[in-house]
Amino acid sequence: MSQFLVKEGVKNQIRKGEKLVTTHCCYCGMQCGMHIRVNEKTNKVVGVEPRYDWVLTRGKMCPKGVTAYQTVDHPDRIKRPLIKKNGKFVESSWEEALDLIERKFKGLQSNYGKDALSVYGGVSMTNEKCYLVGKYARVGLGTRYLDYNGRYCMSSAAGGFNKTLGMDRGSTLPWTELEHTDCFFMAGSNTAECHPTSIQWFWRAKDKGAKIIVADPRETATARVADVHLDLLPGTDSALANGIMHLLIKHEYVDNEYVQERCNNFAELKEMTAKFTPEYTSKITGIAVEKIVKAAHIFGKSPRSVVMFARGAEQQTAGVDNVSLYTSMALLRGQIGKFASGVATFTGQGNGQGGREHGQKSDLLPGYRKLTDPKAVEYISGVWGINPEDMPKPGVSAYEMFDLMLNKTIRGLHVICSNPVVSSPNINHVYKAMEALDFLVVSDFFLSETAELADVVLPATTWAEDEGTTTNIEGRVIHIRKVVEPLGESKPDWQIMSMIAERMGKGKHFQYNEPREIFDELRLASKGGKADYFGVTYEKIDEQDGVFWPAPAEDHPGSPSVFKEKFATEDGRANLAVCDWKGPAEVKSKDYPLWLTTGRVVFHYLSGNQTRRVGFLMEQCPEPFVEMHPELASQYQVENGEKVKLTTPRGDMIVPVKITKAIRKDVLFVPYHWGKQQAVNQLTSPALDPTSRMPEFKVCAVKLEKLTK
Amino acid sequence: MLNLEKSFYSKTSMYSFITIVVLFFLMWMSTAQFLHIDMALLGYMIGTAVFAIGLCIRMSFWIYRTATNRVAARSVKNLFTKERIKRNAKSLTITLIDNIVLQKFIFKRGLYRGIQHIMISWGCIISFAFTFGLTFGWFRFDLVDPDTYQMVAFNIPLIKMAAHGWIAEIFYNMLNIGAVMVLIGASMALFRRIKDYDVKVTQRFEFDLLPLYILLAVTVTGLALTVSYDFLDGWMHPHISLVHQITVVIMLMYFPFGKLFHVPIRPLATAVPMSYQETLKVDTKSCKSCHQPYSNDDQIADVQAILKAQSFDLQLADGSYLSDYCPSCRRRMRALKQMNMEAPKGNPYGPVNTNNGIHLSGFSKKRSEDFYGIEQDIKKDLGEEKEHEPVSR
Amino acid sequence: MNKIMYLEFERCIGCRACQAACRECGDHDAKERNYVEYVDFTESRQTFPMLCMQCKDPACARVCPANAIQITDEGVVLSAMEEKCIGCRNCTFGCPFGIPKFDFEKNKMYKCDMCYDRTRDDIAPMCASVCPSDAIRFIDFDEMQQLRRKRTQMNLVEGKKPQEGNKWDYVPEFFGVYTDSQS
Repeated sequence: MSQFLVKEGVKNQIRKGEKLVTTHCCYCGMQCGMHIRVNEKTNKVVGVEPRYDWVLTRGKMCPKGVTAYQTVDHPDRIKRPLIKKNGKFVESSWEEALDLIERKFKGLQSNYGKDALSVYGGVSMTNEKCYLVGKYARVGLGTRYLDYNGRYCMSSAAGGFNKTLGMDRGSTLPWTELEHTDCFFMAGSNTAECHPTSIQWFWRAKDKGAKIIVADPRETATARVADVHLDLLPGTDSALANGIMHLLIKHEYVDNEYVQERCNNFAELKEMTAKFTPEYTSKITGIAVEKIVKAAHIFGKSPRSVVMFARGAEQQTAGVDNVSLYTSMALLRGQIGKFASGVATFTGQGNGQGGREHGQKSDLLPGYRKLTDPKAVEYISGVWGINPEDMPKPGVSAYEMFDLMLNKTIRGLHVICSNPVVSSPNINHVYKAMEALDFLVVSDFFLSETAELADVVLPATTWAEDEGTTTNIEGRVIHIRKVVEPLGESKPDWQIMSMIAERMGKGKHFQYNEPREIFDELRLASKGGKADYFGVTYEKIDEQDGVFWPAPAEDHPGSPSVFKEKFATEDGRANLAVCDWKGPAEVKSKDYPLWLTTGRVVFHYLSGNQTRRVGFLMEQCPEPFVEMHPELASQYQVENGEKVKLTTPRGDMIVPVKITKAIRKDVLFVPYHWGKQQAVNQLTSPALDPTSRMPEFKVCAVKLEKLTK
Repeated sequence: MLNLEKSFYSKTSMYSFITIVVLFFLMWMSTAQFLHIDMALLGYMIGTAVFAIGLCIRMSFWIYRTATNRVAARSVKNLFTKERIKRNAKSLTITLIDNIVLQKFIFKRGLYRGIQHIMISWGCIISFAFTFGLTFGWFRFDLVDPDTYQMVAFNIPLIKMAAHGWIAEIFYNMLNIGAVMVLIGASMALFRRIKDYDVKVTQRFEFDLLPLYILLAVTVTGLALTVSYDFLDGWMHPHISLVHQITVVIMLMYFPFGKLFHVPIRPLATAVPMSYQETLKVDTKSCKSCHQPYSNDDQIADVQAILKAQSFDLQLADGSYLSDYCPSCRRRMRALKQMNMEAPKGNPYGPVNTNNGIHLSGFSKKRSEDFYGIEQDIKKDLGEEKEHEPVSR
Repeated sequence: MNKIMYLEFERCIGCRACQAACRECGDHDAKERNYVEYVDFTESRQTFPMLCMQCKDPACARVCPANAIQITDEGVVLSAMEEKCIGCRNCTFGCPFGIPKFDFEKNKMYKCDMCYDRTRDDIAPMCASVCPSDAIRFIDFDEMQQLRRKRTQMNLVEGKKPQEGNKWDYVPEFFGVYTDSQS
């Protein structure tokens, strides 16, 4: 198979002495297509070339994507296992590191039981690895305590989709259809910064006359060009959605035939939304009545619309409610399952979609099977070759794991592909939990803030040093190619997990020579589940520009659009959400009189462990800042660039001010990509959504103080 | 001078004529009325004469360019201004040492490039100096007694040296040393030009590679002469000598017209510290719009004069010129103009309007609101007429 | 070869991918030559990209005392030739659009050359290739004309400010270097 895929009529620059390897970006869920330039003589990654013919992104990249290749040969890479001796990391051999891990893991398990160990996974890695994390925890270590950073990312979307539609595929339509859409309703998504390459589709639709409605406390680059910008207060999404539905019903924009045929609970919904008059909604959300009315009319009159939402609406204690309500908006209009219309969430992490389908979650098994379902346990036990009784029971969610570490239920932790001491809420608490551990192993390719706390750091590979598949924002399974050999003694995560499992005496369940074998096992494991990958093969992905799951049979071409005939619920009908508005867990008070919300900037990715090491990105955005409205700045007498202190009941930080009118007057915004003293997550609220266990990153009350000189 | 100029076809020809006359006068003087002329060097002499004329022509053309003339004229004027003596001396010294002798800025572009360039430049300067000196007889070595040479410059006897002493050895081998330096430098340059993708992007054969080949040809044949003379008992010596002579003449003729012409224009670099920037990176003129310093009054005056002389009309409605604004403000003005967002119209100092209601929203196309008929609906809903902004703030 | 660089400022989302990409081009020495700037961050997040117009008779070349700025056969205005440039920065101040940049360390001027190593082979420059919002495009001359015509029409349909007389003031910027045959 050729390493360099290009369609006829597409010209790329190939320099002499170099070759191109076709792959995708390692960062967000867009998974932009790219070719990596490799020097043929030295076999080193030297640059990037746009992949003009990738259907979804057409060669477009954001600054993170353009510079992604620079992390491969980065001087900060960990090349050999590190063991902490007397508080300092010492390079060691794999043999020594594995010996230590084996001794400690076995010791902890024999003294405190199997569940004394835990695994904390991540989804910025391939499906093969994500799948194996689940198997590694449950078979290799035999522990029930397993969860992953997707809990902070996608779990509310998953919960909401499962509740309303019965299946959690991030987008019900392929995004290449978006240009034909008439109206986008985007809630809590800073699309232009978090998924820059998706903008081409929205702008193209706009060129054709599409309307854009954006709900966001900040006037983001998308909100700036929106027809209506609903500048809501953080944490009031469910009120807004109810208010819009109230108007949809009032003005008879409801697709009655569709709702009658395909949805439950319409009467209850009608009753619930009755009180959400524009005036009532406006009072809760802080949006002008005119804007709510205008948005409802535009949305109601548009023949084809897509409702989209992201972390802004999801990272709340009412995250699942918000997702269900927004999804119900699309259902009322009869949009789901039709051309260029539907509902979608913006997947934040590279493999946020695939990573949550294959059993990295505390209560899920591969193929979106439930761990509480005996049939599922039996089937997966069969695939894994274990006794169904040996299958661990469901554990707890990511943030709750830290509580168990503090009370010594969990004594050993293996963190794979994540940096929880930056990305978790209330990280002062998380630091304490990590320090309470008896033994911490971290697999990473840079020394992240979490890795600094570890007893053993295992050198993992970057995305360019291993083959595999990921599932992008649309639910399209795509192919990541191996570009170069691993640097130094680093090894791909699947090898690391297999080696530890071997030491734990479970080697026979982890006999893999290459990722393809893991993928074949994953296909089998997901067969018959909701996220059915059985019909997906590497060859098919290359042939037809990715395969959309579900693909239940080998000759199945995949399903770009879902829910065309029926929904994935038991009765095949969608459940309209009937949820009242519940305020956020923390409300502003006399001591903490302002709202704080967090988010991303375009130059950094998640905890910044990778992007904070790239020169260009750091030049553009070297440190966090707090955005505030000039009116607020004048009340506190602070100037642009001045440093201020932000305090919540959980912690405080000092950040420079950026003044702009493009934010609500009562809201502060701080990006979260930095660790330690610069981490806004010292301040954020750990209140969890009752269903999805997603923390409320997006809303908390905060105090602003001017520093005395 | 004016009258004299009229007797010539052009200024350029006048300067060329004067140069040649001076050249041969010096030769006449230093060879004791052509007594000590070395006939073996006749070819070189003619080549050098052509070289001098060529250089003269090129320099004249260059100095008459509007931009060059203006910058050079200001430098000359400043040079003879009494108040600036200290600054001038400092500028000249710094430029001479940093820029020309040590070539520091090239080393900052890369050690490899620095070594390569200093080898070529100093190799060439040594060789040129020696060749010209000998060709025109500006200096010669006379045998005083069997063991002693005397150096004679411009017919004035200078130092004496032992025929086999180390000073003499250095003098004998001066050309060889120069040649070896050029050989190393030019090979390094050629290697870089063949290997490095980045240089190849804008490189042109006739401009970038040809001079290297010519330099190599000269040095290789020159060194071959030494090899033949010292080690091979003069084998093929006359032939090699002829070939060498041809390559040197080609190089001399090429010099004023190709890449090597950058050498005589380099001294203009003094203009920067002398007229524009006394301390590097410190600006004194501030932008008309944002009031940040971005340049120097003299420089902006020069730039405006140069542009005006060449009929560039970059004046704004209020009488200011685009060059009165810092580059960043100029970029913003262009974008604002383009988006028709300057406000109040045409006033570059006015506050910025970031939404003119035309481009935002809808890029190439905007579906009218009445397509949806929502205006009426909204009004009906609200029961009253209210102004609302299309984009919230 | 008859392609145009087409800039639509208001599409820009300020991601600066074009600047990151600019560093990747051949002979760009890992330094970006284009700009992305806020119109006024206090007022809004509107940003705009800015590149060299590749003027037919460039002011930068005309104010250069060393005659160091060359124009290729195709019409691309190149960075000052390193051997000639004396580092006076006249080009920076002469350019009406504020494009040329100057490296004090290496004592040389550098500017956008439309990714000469790509465009001479008919491959889109890096900035236009990666721009996620299509604020920078590298398109056919005909497509450009069509876009501009459509734009003026739609502006008029809106019945707002532009009138028949000034409608062309309201269409985006374009510039090309290979257009002699058709413009």
